[in-house]
Amino acid sequence: MSAATAALRRLKLSREVVLLGVLIVLMVVMSLLSPLFLTVGNLLNTSRFFVEVGLMALGMTLIIITGGIDLSVGSNVALVSVAVGFSYAAGLPLPLAILFGLVVGLAAGLFNGLFITLLDLHPLVVTLGTFALFQGLAYGLSKAEAVSDFPPWFAYFGQAYFLNVVPGQLFIFILAVVVVWLILSRTRFGRYVYAIGNNEEAAHFSGVPVRRVKLALYSGIGLLVGMAAVIYTSRVYTARGDSGLGLELDVISAVVLGGASIYGGSGTIGGTVLGVLIIATLRNGLVLAGVPSTWQVFVLGVLLLVAVFLNEFFRRREE
Amino acid sequence: MRPSDEPGTGRAATAAEAPPVFRLRDVTKRFGGVTAVEGVGFDLRPGEVHALVGENGAGKSTLMKMVHGLYAPDEGTLEVGGEATEFSSPRDAEAAGIAMIPQELDLFPELSVTENLFVGRHRPRTRWGTLDRAAMRGKARERLGSLGVDLDVTASVKGLSAANQQIVAIARALVGEARAVVMDEPTASLTEREVRQLFRIISDLTSGGVGVVYISHRLEEVFTISDRITVLRDGHHITTAPAADLDAEELVRLMVGRPLNELFTRSPHSPGEVALEVRGLGRAGEFEEVDLVVRRSEIVGLSGLVGAGRSEVAQAIFGIRSPESGEIRIDGEVVRIKSPQAAMEKGIFYVPEERRSQGLILPFSIKNNITLSILDRIARFGFVPRTERQTADRFAKGLSIRGGSVSDPVSRLSGGNQQKVVLAKSLAREPSILLLDEPTRGIDVGAKSEIYRLIDDLAKEGKAILLISSELEEVLSMSDRVVVMREGRITGEFGRNEADQERVMTAATGGRDRPAPAGRGEEAPEDE
Repeated sequence: MSAATAALRRLKLSREVVLLGVLIVLMVVMSLLSPLFLTVGNLLNTSRFFVEVGLMALGMTLIIITGGIDLSVGSNVALVSVAVGFSYAAGLPLPLAILFGLVVGLAAGLFNGLFITLLDLHPLVVTLGTFALFQGLAYGLSKAEAVSDFPPWFAYFGQAYFLNVVPGQLFIFILAVVVVWLILSRTRFGRYVYAIGNNEEAAHFSGVPVRRVKLALYSGIGLLVGMAAVIYTSRVYTARGDSGLGLELDVISAVVLGGASIYGGSGTIGGTVLGVLIIATLRNGLVLAGVPSTWQVFVLGVLLLVAVFLNEFFRRREE
Repeated sequence: MRPSDEPGTGRAATAAEAPPVFRLRDVTKRFGGVTAVEGVGFDLRPGEVHALVGENGAGKSTLMKMVHGLYAPDEGTLEVGGEATEFSSPRDAEAAGIAMIPQELDLFPELSVTENLFVGRHRPRTRWGTLDRAAMRGKARERLGSLGVDLDVTASVKGLSAANQQIVAIARALVGEARAVVMDEPTASLTEREVRQLFRIISDLTSGGVGVVYISHRLEEVFTISDRITVLRDGHHITTAPAADLDAEELVRLMVGRPLNELFTRSPHSPGEVALEVRGLGRAGEFEEVDLVVRRSEIVGLSGLVGAGRSEVAQAIFGIRSPESGEIRIDGEVVRIKSPQAAMEKGIFYVPEERRSQGLILPFSIKNNITLSILDRIARFGFVPRTERQTADRFAKGLSIRGGSVSDPVSRLSGGNQQKVVLAKSLAREPSILLLDEPTRGIDVGAKSEIYRLIDDLAKEGKAILLISSELEEVLSMSDRVVVMREGRITGEFGRNEADQERVMTAATGGRDRPAPAGRGEEAPEDE
């Protein structure tokens, strides 16, 4: 291994070390703000909130590496939530309603993907459109009503504990992290994702099936959104048209904070997981400290800007 | 071909006594660790045409950019009118009377001829302080008239022919008192008639005492127009001599540093079965009625001017652009190729002209670039195997890629080694038909010679090779057959023994009085 690659290795490590440092500092600050923060119960409970964001952030990482983006994930959560709740209310057995919800999530992602690849449109514009479209569809279909008369076992997805302390959905998340990490770092598909993000034209000339990869990515995030939406609906035990409102902000912030370049070409699952943890800690800590949710969004905005700045800083240092 | 009767050498002789317009003394320019120009001297006398020749990367453009104020020399001095001068920008150079017409014309296509002439220049004003458009148009007509052309000065530049755009660029450069004009490959996209018009303008300029630096790859033109010739090679000054004292063969030897037959490798190979056959291939606005046959163990050179549609045809065969008519046969079988993946399945590989933007993923390692096109073959259940590295090593060694381990990013390699990575990538796929688009453009002589040997070896192995090249010597020396394209059509086909510079160039430019290319006529609507 040459000196150049060793230096690059160190740099990559240092970015993740910086993120880990930020996480620890944040936890210390939060525990000073609230004595409740640094308790095992609270920390594990926090995971209830970040699993939903985390699942979507895994898919978003791959999409951002290709130089794309998906702004519609929050609205898609609402759509899936409504699909599950209202198909169940209409008489569909709950397991089928859940399956239907996952299919709706996948179909919504596929819809984005088809628009982006077949018409060669920019993902930002397409998903800004579907952001409104999915949201509108969710409101319209639910007529702004809510469904919450689910059978008790539905709570399993979002409220169950393993050994009385570990939230069940944490296992789903860990499994998803391992699978997506393997895909990105070990498979041909992962290599294609990086190739597209670094130079889409050269990837095309090299025989990379650019459209198929993108289609798979946008459909894949749709499926992850479906899973997140089912967990979310189970956790709050209610299906409503405003479920998941604004979650895209948390998701994109986590990915960018984790070091994925918004210009495409770079990003890691490890970085994204750290980004998710930082945002979850911040959210949870601010709640415990009694900061109103509107100001939480403000803090998140600041964090996103800081993340973009940090990325730029690291990128320039690499050059 | 010279339009004026006055012999060039005579003119130079009278100019020889005058002090030079500018003189570079022992200038050196480095970029990072790379020395682009080292200890080069160059001077331009009033009223002479001084040709500057050398291969791609020899340092011609770098040298002239130092004269034009774009770069400052790291060592050595620039003298203008006998005094040491330092330019901090092209504006300074232009103020001192040194104008440059770059290869890629820096015109604004959407603006009118008049507006282009006055961009960044002093513009006449009315007494209200607004632009005096009538006066601008008057001056524009006057200036173009002095070059002996009559253009509609209100027409937008994008509607003009390549030649007229060139003239607008010259008129723009001559605003103010130009004493020296540097022309970088001015005839690259001109027809023969247009070249004659350009030469007439150049001779008008020189008889008015203006010195012209003429950068060109076309040796015939160089001998026709120039009084003196300077040869650069790998950033070094090789010689400066009166044009009359050199001949083409000698000049080529000076440029490449060795006789041509040592640069190119050709061993006998006998073409076999037809591997690739194209019949009546067409795509609106790009090419039409293209017939092409490439046999096993055969190198077919595809020659023509820039923009003749050669790359477009190769890309259509490779599935990047879908042809609208005609058919493609591989080993006699009609195939429909809709994507590069499909083309690779059929044993075709295209090495693109744009190495950095189409051929390579620059931040990727050498290994990841070499294996990118074979991942579908070597992956097991979708996973990239560990043997990937050995595969990459094998091809990197086979092509003697120098400059790092296979884990290093290709962005750090020199142009020649980058091109070898692109070739390694294509060979890893083991294609039977190789479409090479300008495979030696912009790389050093050593790497060139290695690539020629490789191409020759591949042909010996039985591969069918289509060699697209704008370098005539390359096409003529390497090919078993030469096919020539012009404006999207095949205009000539010559066997190895019948192909020569003149025949190929005539087919490429369409001989003497060719009408302006379609779609670039001069009847553009007014833009105001």
